[in-house]
Amino acid sequence: MASVELQNIEKHYAGYHALRDINLTIEDGEFAVMVGPSGCGKSTLLKTIAGLESISSGRLLIKNRDVTAEEPGDRGIAMVFQSYALYPHMTVAENMGFGLRMAKRPKAEIETAVTRAAAILRLEEQLDKRPRQLSGGQRQRVAIGRAITRSPDVFLFDEPLSNLDAALRTQMRVELSTLHARLGATMIYVTHDQVEAMTMASRIVVLNKGQIEQVGAPLVLYNNPVNRFVAGFLGAPRMNFVEGIVRTADGRGAVIECAGGMSVAFSDLASPVHAGDHVTVGIRPEKLRIDNIRSGTTFPAEVRLIEHLGRETIVYADAGSLSTSNSDSGTGAFTIQIGDIVPFRPGAPLVLGFDVHDAYLFSTDGRTVSAPKTVTGL
Amino acid sequence: MYPRPIPATAPARRGLYIGLVSLVLLLWLLPLFTVMVTSLRSFEEVMAGNYWGWPKSFNLIENYTAVFTQTAMAHYFVNSLVITLPSVVGVLVLSTLTGYVLSRHRFPGANLIFALFVGGNFLPAQIMMIPVRDLMVELGLYDTYAALIIFHVAFQTGFATLFMRNFIAALPDELFQAARSEGASPGQTLVHVVLPLVRPALAALAILTFTFVWNDYFWAIVLTQSDAVKPVTAGLSNLRGEYVSAWNLVSAATVIVAVPPVLMFFLMQRHFIAGLTVGAVKG
Amino acid sequence: MSRLWRRHSNWLAPTLFILPGIVLFGVVIIFASLQTIWVSFHEWDGVGAMVWVGLDNYRQLIDDPQFFVSLKNNVIWLVMFMAAPPLGLALALMLNQPIAGMRIVKSLFFIPLVLASVTVGVVFTWVYDPSFGLLALIFTAFGATASALLSDENFVTVAVVIAALWPQIAFCLVLFLAGLNNLNEELIGAGRVDGARGFAMLWNVILPQLREVSFIALAVTVIGALRSFDMVAVMTSGGPFGSSTVLAYQMYEQSIFSYRFGYGAAIATVLFVIMAGFIVWYLHTLLKVEEGNA
Repeated sequence: MASVELQNIEKHYAGYHALRDINLTIEDGEFAVMVGPSGCGKSTLLKTIAGLESISSGRLLIKNRDVTAEEPGDRGIAMVFQSYALYPHMTVAENMGFGLRMAKRPKAEIETAVTRAAAILRLEEQLDKRPRQLSGGQRQRVAIGRAITRSPDVFLFDEPLSNLDAALRTQMRVELSTLHARLGATMIYVTHDQVEAMTMASRIVVLNKGQIEQVGAPLVLYNNPVNRFVAGFLGAPRMNFVEGIVRTADGRGAVIECAGGMSVAFSDLASPVHAGDHVTVGIRPEKLRIDNIRSGTTFPAEVRLIEHLGRETIVYADAGSLSTSNSDSGTGAFTIQIGDIVPFRPGAPLVLGFDVHDAYLFSTDGRTVSAPKTVTGL
Repeated sequence: MYPRPIPATAPARRGLYIGLVSLVLLLWLLPLFTVMVTSLRSFEEVMAGNYWGWPKSFNLIENYTAVFTQTAMAHYFVNSLVITLPSVVGVLVLSTLTGYVLSRHRFPGANLIFALFVGGNFLPAQIMMIPVRDLMVELGLYDTYAALIIFHVAFQTGFATLFMRNFIAALPDELFQAARSEGASPGQTLVHVVLPLVRPALAALAILTFTFVWNDYFWAIVLTQSDAVKPVTAGLSNLRGEYVSAWNLVSAATVIVAVPPVLMFFLMQRHFIAGLTVGAVKG
Repeated sequence: MSRLWRRHSNWLAPTLFILPGIVLFGVVIIFASLQTIWVSFHEWDGVGAMVWVGLDNYRQLIDDPQFFVSLKNNVIWLVMFMAAPPLGLALALMLNQPIAGMRIVKSLFFIPLVLASVTVGVVFTWVYDPSFGLLALIFTAFGATASALLSDENFVTVAVVIAALWPQIAFCLVLFLAGLNNLNEELIGAGRVDGARGFAMLWNVILPQLREVSFIALAVTVIGALRSFDMVAVMTSGGPFGSSTVLAYQMYEQSIFSYRFGYGAAIATVLFVIMAGFIVWYLHTLLKVEEGNA
């Protein structure tokens, strides 16, 4: 059953087109993560679902009920805010019970709901404290507890982990996933952090400039991004992009020539490209090899910077005249991720190589025309 | 935002809201409007009892000229300026000095001195009236501009010190450490670091002090006696007794008294509000 | 000289900076205030020698019916002034809309605040005039005859306080508008998601955030009520028959018109004690609030 349905949602404010024709269905029990760069409209979209922002046109259904014109309190949603937004003058218990109190529920029912939520979140000891007496992680749990108490149809999370330090963030990520499994509730979660999206989501919604770019399971999006934006947004370190021109093309295949003389031959294209088109070849950092034998597609490069992370090593390398879209970032034209310790020093010459079956091809307008074959079923 | 903004997409509700606000505003300022309109009426009209109808003739120039030529109002007005402007300058100078020292130098008794400056603000004027009046008599300053200027500078320095101390204390510490490490003396620090940065605070303080001093009535009647030094507030009160039935002239005089602070307020509204709220919040 | 200066300038310069302010404020404000308490134990006509009379002035106060009239009127001022914060809040709630032109409307509402109290007094004397005032006009419209409020012993203080409320409400309006501008948006969002609206929202989510501002508005209002002098002096001179005096005005009258400086000083001291009591309570609460927030 559909839990939340967005139909042709548009939002304009002050001459700014914040949301463009958003159509999305979120099923019961899903953990949907909306992700995108800042300003992409993800928070606006969430507030639209909550009813905190009005929409210019379109329809919003929650549990098959049209709630477009309803007040936030009547929509059957609960929201966890970035700053937690706990009422500072109320105790933890009063904070968690406030929604039910506003709904004029009997005292006993409120107490039961608060106790239950406190037990789930291990907050029993904190119920009589004020928010300012709690640590950041505890405040976060109270904010979640406040949402649980209302037993909403849909939980909304607005970048809830961004105010926590790195260690706590990892822990809360696990707790949230556990909570989702335990409650089986529908959750919509907004973040700019693609790691949170990849680890927690049952489905990811990638937004850019007020539009939905792609919706799908994390690994589907990772392996089969529909366009260059999604390919670049998901995955850290970022995918390497090399600009090139189509030298020859027939119906199913094409030969791409990149500056510096490297050429890559693709077959099995999803849609045709034409000789002379400006295209982009994409290759994930973990698929770039440091070759000593020249096999597959190889090209010379030079180490600019090296980062030892212990378990793995990130190498940033310049590759002469090969122009890549990350050239301007100052870290080197190519990023290579190696699951090993490598003894390079800056300035050392390298030969980089990749297998064409691991490479992506994006058309002039950014659509994916060729992606690696992956194991299906994920 | 609370209450919730009325959306631009609900023109009917907006219209209703604007109508309501206009009505309340009209009622709120009605006393002032009528005084302003009366200041335009002719003496005959006032005598005939037309206070609320549309003025039959507009005597703007006649009435205001009359106030300035037939009454001592012009003189009171000049007196007010002669008292207010030096007071403002004095307060700004003294409070910048005290505020700077109290915020950036630790010395024994600093807290007590600050507490006295702050506490002095809350004192009712009457508690110091007799000795201050006596002091001015002893100094031979009673019934002179100097008496009012000295008192206003002294009294306003209390509030102004609080204001400047808080403002200077909020400046980044690093600036002062940098100035010291470059060998600047306290005086050089004051001139080259503090002064350029406190300009907005000085603007706010200047307009607040101007309004307070200009509007003072109590000290004007306690420390002055003769028309030669009386400010507008005391002058207006006198005028009302003398020109009992010439309400058009009294109204014009009332408007004249109100114009400088209202003008100041509209010219520097942002500073005024900021100063008032900061002063009240910290006070 | 110059070497001496350089060696000591680190403490000498700040001392010289702060000295003028301290001397002036210390002599004219602090010392003078304490001196009044000293004067209150004397009989003095303001010119001749002071005669020590101990607590005589205070004993006379207790037997002076006029003193109790003033005290009663001060209480009326205090109680009626308590309307200023809620009315200021109500106006602020009404005006806090992001619509073009509201900035100017708000400034127009602030005008009474910058008017001299003499101006306010003159304006309202006129409003209250029984023959042609605004009030008379309203009464006539309803077929009634307006009474001369300012010459009616029963209504005079109430009438003066209403006039004084005009700028006081504007002051509270300024404070509350500033408070409403600093509300936490996410907290309001949380309230709306929790289903709070209308008065429940105001009471449970908005007012707690305005606690500090409300407290300041209350303090400013109490001090304003206790300080009341100008309006009484301008509108009634304490009349009719001394029925609208307040402590501040009675003190002035006794000293300046009756040359009873010792007695005036005693009244001033009583006013000071009341004010000091309030200030102690205020600071105490302020410190407690700050502790609570720490």
